Amino acid sequence: MPRPLGPGRLRRTNPITIIVGVVLFFVIGYLLFSSSAPDFSAARKATAALHPLSPPTSPFRKSGAGGGKAGPPPVTRYNLNNVTITNDPVANRENVLILTPMARFYQEYWDNLLKLSYPHELITLGFILPKTKEGNAATIELQKQIAKVQKNALEKERFKSIIILRQDFDPPIPSQDESERHKMANQKARRAAMAKARNSLLFTTLGPDTSWVLWLDADIVETPPTLIQDLASHSKPLTVPNCFQKFYNPEKKAMDERPYDFNNWQDSPTAQELASKMGKDDILLEGYADMATYRALMAYMYEAGADIHTEVPLDGVGGTALLVKAEVHRDGAMFPAFPFYHLIETEGFAKMAKRLGWQATGLPNYKVYHYNE
Amino acid sequence: MRADIPMGIREETHSRSLPIGNVPWRPRGAAPPFRRRRGQFVRWAIGLISLLLFGLFVWPGGSGSSWLGSGSEDFQLETVRYYDLSNVQGTAKGWEREERILICVPLRDAEAHMPMFFGHLKNLTYPHHLIDLAFLVSDSKDNTLAVLEQELNAIQASTDPSMHFGEISIIEKDFGQKVNQDVESRHGFAAQASRRKLMAQARNWLLSAALRPYHSWVYWRDVDVETAPTTILEDLMRHNKDVIVPNVWRPLPDWLGGEQPYDLNSWAESETALALADTLDEDAVIVEGYAEYATWRPHLAYLRDPYGDPDMEMEIDGVGGVSILAKAKVFRYGVHFPAFSFEKHAETEAFGKMSRRMGFSVVGLPHYTIWHLYEPSIDDIKHMEKMEQDRIAREKEEKEKAMKEQKMKESFGDATGQWEKDKNEIQNLAMQENKAGEQQAVGQQQEAPAGGPANAAPKEEKKEGSQ
Repeated sequence: MPRPLGPGRLRRTNPITIIVGVVLFFVIGYLLFSSSAPDFSAARKATAALHPLSPPTSPFRKSGAGGGKAGPPPVTRYNLNNVTITNDPVANRENVLILTPMARFYQEYWDNLLKLSYPHELITLGFILPKTKEGNAATIELQKQIAKVQKNALEKERFKSIIILRQDFDPPIPSQDESERHKMANQKARRAAMAKARNSLLFTTLGPDTSWVLWLDADIVETPPTLIQDLASHSKPLTVPNCFQKFYNPEKKAMDERPYDFNNWQDSPTAQELASKMGKDDILLEGYADMATYRALMAYMYEAGADIHTEVPLDGVGGTALLVKAEVHRDGAMFPAFPFYHLIETEGFAKMAKRLGWQATGLPNYKVYHYNE
Repeated sequence: MRADIPMGIREETHSRSLPIGNVPWRPRGAAPPFRRRRGQFVRWAIGLISLLLFGLFVWPGGSGSSWLGSGSEDFQLETVRYYDLSNVQGTAKGWEREERILICVPLRDAEAHMPMFFGHLKNLTYPHHLIDLAFLVSDSKDNTLAVLEQELNAIQASTDPSMHFGEISIIEKDFGQKVNQDVESRHGFAAQASRRKLMAQARNWLLSAALRPYHSWVYWRDVDVETAPTTILEDLMRHNKDVIVPNVWRPLPDWLGGEQPYDLNSWAESETALALADTLDEDAVIVEGYAEYATWRPHLAYLRDPYGDPDMEMEIDGVGGVSILAKAKVFRYGVHFPAFSFEKHAETEAFGKMSRRMGFSVVGLPHYTIWHLYEPSIDDIKHMEKMEQDRIAREKEEKEKAMKEQKMKESFGDATGQWEKDKNEIQNLAMQENKAGEQQAVGQQQEAPAGGPANAAPKEEKKEGSQ
């Protein structure tokens, strides 16, 4: 049946056009909305840097949005007198830099990191990975996980800024295998390389805003979510929890725990005597039967059920988990890649901090857990 | 989306195939003008919209939001940075490979030196956009900060883009410095160890806040350098050493010899100094240039030959801090300015020692010289005051002498006339006597030997008179 002609017909097709228009409007609106969804709140944008040439502890404005050619970087003033380091870092909005030298990516490490209850908008993550096959694989996995969090997660789960560095030197021993890694002969070269990696990561990322530096090894898979607040509440220059490892105990036929990090120790006269007889380039190592130092190890100071905030003074520290006031590093305390008082890497760091007037503190009853391979 | 297009086409074909009724005649196949226009409009609209949508899919983010005119307030954040440190090793021709260099300048009460320093900075020939600047202003009581910020803003606002520098950070941090910055207390022996440790601390705070993963080089420069080549960055970089310093001298007033070695902290280690170090306690700091520690080390400064090859290198162990070029990896690997006694040294000298300990090359250029500003010491000032007093005294003396002469002339001016008169009379008298004498002489020639003395007297008189 022929439909009527003229204005009537026009009126009838108009609604279709309008509907099409409305649908398109919503489609466009949705597209725009969804494309701006991964971006950040005004509060975060206010603290962002104006230029890509800026401290990496802050995010920066993506170029192109403003349009036109970008001008020269601005003159920026940073007042380090105002960077507080207190025992209540959350209330004082103190920036924390979590630094992790990474050779392998462990999903458990990442999941544990995401569970930290310290406000993520105050946390900057820094990673350094070797340029080996293993390192490349770890980098790809890490980037995948970072993209997931920084683009798609809720804003409160996203971190302030993330820096990924690739090492500029080759690892001294090819394998990261547990047995190979712990061989005494390999220790000096391995730990010297580790020290260089830690220093490279630290001194390029510290920037002017950081209050605390948390060293967290890539194989630390379980910590209390309040780790940062708990360690910072002691307000010590260097604070170390006790690092344990969970394993299946075939004797008990059940999961069990054992101490893992033996680099947290109090010095002993035996060790000092050993050191005094050593050549300039020799180092003392802990946890090896053929070098009995009789140092008091924090690993064995753990008391079940005791106060987790018990403090002990330490002369050597490990780096598996270690909270440091940024001013300690700013004063120059670093991880010696050479024998420093016959100590190297994190143990040498504790000694250097001491030479600068900063004392290390251990928390024997506060446990974090190392991955078990 | 896709469903819309066939719908539109169907409509069009349908309307075209409609039988023509009571409407005026038109050529077959031609739609009425308004309907034709409507069809075109629909086609255009659909085309435009699909183009737009396509555009949105292809260029999400940036162009989409700018198309909506959301303005510069609504920018996106980049939170992830990736750097490969093997790209920032530092090479001999950094400027060709776009290597970024961080210039670190520690400042305290340095307002007076600012114009001179910025003169040097602006004239650097290394591409400015590859230079990042970091200043640490600590415990300053003068206007250093304001002048600094104003000068830097002026550079970045310059109409010449080749003047613009890269990242510029001004870092404020007070260490509660008790040591005075004037020349005397700065160079006194007793204050050296604690002063050097504080300086080291300041340098470390500056570096750790300003070093970035994109830096290949770090250049330390004191603000009170008076003369240095504008190509100094390239000149030092060409040597491709891990740590390198030029020779530092200072000009002096002529009465002090015209010039003098200034920076005595660049030296090579000696057996004497090593032996001395072993006798000192853990916290002692050996400082150079003081009689208290005779180290007998060869100093870079004293080896200068003004006509020597400026490219000549010398291996050194301690370095001075006036002008140090170092590869950024030296600092990345942990070398810093020990604020404690490291191998019995502190600050820049210990920096040299630590660099050597980590196997880096540390080199000085004995014949490539930059000139430190001459600030007179208190002794110099005293000496100059004395010289000034002497000068004034001498001038006074001379003036007095001149005055005296004048006075003499004035008071004995009449006597001169009298003297002339008397002289003339005496001359006349003498001439007459002479004439008489000559006549006598003709008559008494044979008695000449005896008359000699008598003859001589008037001659002398005449001589006197003619004068």
